[in-house]
Amino acid sequence: MQDKNTRQPKGLRMKLLSAVAASTLAMSAHAQFEAPAEGVYKDRVDWGVMMDLSGPASGSQGIWTNGFQAYVRSINDKGGVNGRRINVLAEDSRFNPAQDKINYEKLSTQTPVLAISGMGSSSSQVSLAPTIRGGKIPIVGTYTHTKPLAEPVSPLVYGGFCTYPEMAKAGVGYMTDKLKVKSPKVMVVSIESAGGVEYAQFIADAVKKYGGSSSLVTMKITAADVTPQVLEIIKQKPDFITIYGVGNTAILTMKAMHQYGLKIPAFGISYLMSPQIYAAIGPDAGPNYNVISCFTPGGADQSAGNKEMMSAADKYNHSAMKEDVNYVAGWVAGQMAAQALQLAGTQPTRAKLVEAMSKGFTVNTNGLSAPIVFTPTDHAGPSRFRMIGYDYGAKKYVSFGEFADYEKYMK
Amino acid sequence: MTATIPRSGPPRATSVSRWVWLALAAAMLLYLPILLTERQIFGFRLSNMMLLNIGLSQVNLMLITMLGALSLNYLTGSAGLISIGHAAFYAVGAMTAAITGSQWGWPFPLVLVAAALCGAVAGLLAGLPSLRVRGLYFVLSTFAVHYIVVFVFMEYQFKFFDVVGVPYKNATLGSWNLSTPMRWYFFLLPLVIFVYWLLRNSLGTREGRAMQAMRDHELAATANGIDVRFLRLKAFALSSAIAAVGGALYAYYLTNVTSEFFGIQFAIQFIAMIIIGGMGSLPGAVVGAAVWLLLPSIINGLTSQAGDTTGLLRSVLVDHKPQLVQAIFGMLVIVLLIFAPWGIAGMASRLKARLTAWWSRS
Amino acid sequence: MLIQVLLSGIALGSIYGLVALGFAVVFKATDVFNFAQGMFVAFGAYFAVTTINLLGLPFPLAVAAIIAAAAALGVIIHIVLIQPLSGRPMLSVIMLTIALSIVMRAVIEILYGVQSRTLSTPMPTGIFIIGDVRVSQLHLVAAGVSWLCMAAFGAFFKFTSVGLLMRATADGHEAALVSGVNVKVMNRLAWAIGAGLAAIGGLFLGQLQIVSTELEHIGLLALPAVVIGGMQSIPGAIIGGLLVGLIEQLSATYISPKSSDILVYVLLLMILMVRPWGLFGQRELGRV
Repeated sequence: MQDKNTRQPKGLRMKLLSAVAASTLAMSAHAQFEAPAEGVYKDRVDWGVMMDLSGPASGSQGIWTNGFQAYVRSINDKGGVNGRRINVLAEDSRFNPAQDKINYEKLSTQTPVLAISGMGSSSSQVSLAPTIRGGKIPIVGTYTHTKPLAEPVSPLVYGGFCTYPEMAKAGVGYMTDKLKVKSPKVMVVSIESAGGVEYAQFIADAVKKYGGSSSLVTMKITAADVTPQVLEIIKQKPDFITIYGVGNTAILTMKAMHQYGLKIPAFGISYLMSPQIYAAIGPDAGPNYNVISCFTPGGADQSAGNKEMMSAADKYNHSAMKEDVNYVAGWVAGQMAAQALQLAGTQPTRAKLVEAMSKGFTVNTNGLSAPIVFTPTDHAGPSRFRMIGYDYGAKKYVSFGEFADYEKYMK
Repeated sequence: MTATIPRSGPPRATSVSRWVWLALAAAMLLYLPILLTERQIFGFRLSNMMLLNIGLSQVNLMLITMLGALSLNYLTGSAGLISIGHAAFYAVGAMTAAITGSQWGWPFPLVLVAAALCGAVAGLLAGLPSLRVRGLYFVLSTFAVHYIVVFVFMEYQFKFFDVVGVPYKNATLGSWNLSTPMRWYFFLLPLVIFVYWLLRNSLGTREGRAMQAMRDHELAATANGIDVRFLRLKAFALSSAIAAVGGALYAYYLTNVTSEFFGIQFAIQFIAMIIIGGMGSLPGAVVGAAVWLLLPSIINGLTSQAGDTTGLLRSVLVDHKPQLVQAIFGMLVIVLLIFAPWGIAGMASRLKARLTAWWSRS
Repeated sequence: MLIQVLLSGIALGSIYGLVALGFAVVFKATDVFNFAQGMFVAFGAYFAVTTINLLGLPFPLAVAAIIAAAAALGVIIHIVLIQPLSGRPMLSVIMLTIALSIVMRAVIEILYGVQSRTLSTPMPTGIFIIGDVRVSQLHLVAAGVSWLCMAAFGAFFKFTSVGLLMRATADGHEAALVSGVNVKVMNRLAWAIGAGLAAIGGLFLGQLQIVSTELEHIGLLALPAVVIGGMQSIPGAIIGGLLVGLIEQLSATYISPKSSDILVYVLLLMILMVRPWGLFGQRELGRV
């Protein structure tokens, strides 16, 4: 009885053996692919992050990095991408472009990475733009936009934070509708910086469509008191104001306006959304302050993406950060990175990654933002917004409408 | 008849061993950029930590900053003037480079010369308070000068250029374009060596010795007919000229600068370098610059080796690694300041003296 | 409105004056230009977050704890860092305080995280309306407390025996030693006072804005204040602080926000050229 089973035809056995051998070879070839000069190893991929982790902007950029690392960790816990886990090499720029120049070289030849995310300092971006464009490392998910890196569109660079022109349009449109004003008079309260001047220009363009007018008042980034700026606001009597700067800019402006009895509604740029800012503004002045954001902070709605992020944050000891917009942005950048890596295939190299991304891809964040669409000619990043406020009673965020509701302001 | 005053610095040895050392040092310096770029030696690939987590850009930036450390040490250690305003002279150099290079399109070497001249003038002006006040008050005047100069740069930048920063292009010497870090290295290294040689020789001249005399005992120097104030201003002018050239190079190396680059942190780092290296010692300036700029990277690299850990250690080593690096770095500086007051150069010379004594005894 | 600007200038200037006073006391006693004073301000703010918001201590107890902790920190720093360096060149000591501020900043960020923190205290946050003028109650309290502290210390230095002893020691170390005064204790007291005053300033600034290590930079504005007023003079530091606050607000309103910084430093330079010992300082014998 055994004879029939054990005496298999010789040819079949050989075929079986060779099939097993071939597939083992194939699998090992898959797993064995390494390109250490580009950060790709058998079981891991090195991915770089360049952000300010200990300098003046570390309060937001450090949080972003934590969000990025959290998403990567959650992906690694599930086995990684294509059998490789992502190893994040976070380099501290201390908000110093000279340091970023050093970091870029480090991530390109010393501890090579497949790609870089973050790049938080505008000066660094401007300074490194020629090197980046002339190099091979893609930048997937930047923290801020600068012209030299964004225009003309480069196959190497993909934006990862809320885009300013659409931010201005959505904000101005929403406020104009909500306050039901005809030709809105808008004031931009900003710190003195390149970004502030640019943002004021975008606001001016958006306001023009409604036949309104806008003006700009600036303050020092380290201002301790904003009485002069508020006096200017009192003089000009705008319909609403918008705030560009750091957390303090928003806090001081709102508190000072409250002190002078001004009830002018204000909206801040997407970066200025965290429970700390709202808590510092206080429940008296807070209801007048909203944020126009392309990201949904933790707890602002019950989408799948939001819940996933919240539970991961709790698991990894980041509970204090999950309501900070920067954490969400980092998490989403992680999603971008993981998806791009997936697209690059089982034998990723820098060139393959660039090729895959430049064909265009869409990142679905499951509700943490509107779908982020990258086309061969548009690498701007998240460009759909909605207004988000804070309910002091419930201690939670409140989102006004869905991303789709703001589409009409984008024209 | 005056007795010959001995030259400052070690006697010129004619022994073969000294030339051998020099040749070895030259060979290492020439091979260094290749080593740092290729990251391998005779085909054997070196890990990042073997090279102490250092790259060529870092070395280049260190060389550019070394110009500031050398010139500040010349001013401070030799002429007895302390200045926190050195970043301001870097800014002056960058601004001159912006006007002559980016706006008027002058060729690169001419831009550097212009930067040196403007730096000298700025140094003369900034040194004027020294005619009136000394010591801590003079330091504070340089502190004020720093903020004023940076403000002027900021206004200039906002008015003539994009708020994003001032662009610098075309760092070319004749037809040789400084487009790669290696080319920058081979341009910067001889320049730094030249500046070192220039300052060292200046200290050895009659005026140089006079300055050191005035640093040590001003009343006696004046009594001997040395015009103390004039020498001081000259020293300030020379040191500021060198710093301005450093500033212009910094601007071209980064291809884009804003006024924020020249903040008070930038100014303080020069002071840190000369203190760590040893005030009044030119080799100390070199060592101080190297330590201040390279040590954080080395610490960073070492803490990265800690590997996969969990819990509290992970929280500190991963989430807060940059803070840990800064803390270690600050503490090392403090320890150095307490236990090695004359800086590393001072430690080295004391060690050398002890070794020589031990050697001659045995 | 001019009155509005003046009031905010005075309120801010009072806090600067407080920090500058701490600075001047330390300088007068131990000849140390403490660049870490800004970090003491930040420390005060962060410690306030711990005691008031995290531990929930009753407010008066929390304030006492903050002052005590800051004073202790000042004393420890003097024992561990400043005393070993006495007699060293001034530049080394300055560098030491700078390195200290680096370490303090890193430690605070490790303990509290890099995110900024909110400080909410029982201090009033409403507004006083007097005619056309609106004054923030918090500003008023901050100014009031600052003035109280400054007056208290003024009296301390002028009338109490310990205070007089401190001044005497500061004026002449050798003479004090000869008289049997424990100079070390006097110096430590000076550092305790300097740190404590900075911490109170931090408590107010932290509530006026947000608690982050960036508070260090506001503390550093006390430097020109102290020099303009006169580094060896207690009332000088206070007046200097007020001047800086007023200049800041007035120039930000009537000229431009950027000009406030530069005006302060131009004034500093002018004072150094014309009257280096400050508006209220004593002219020192010999070459300054």
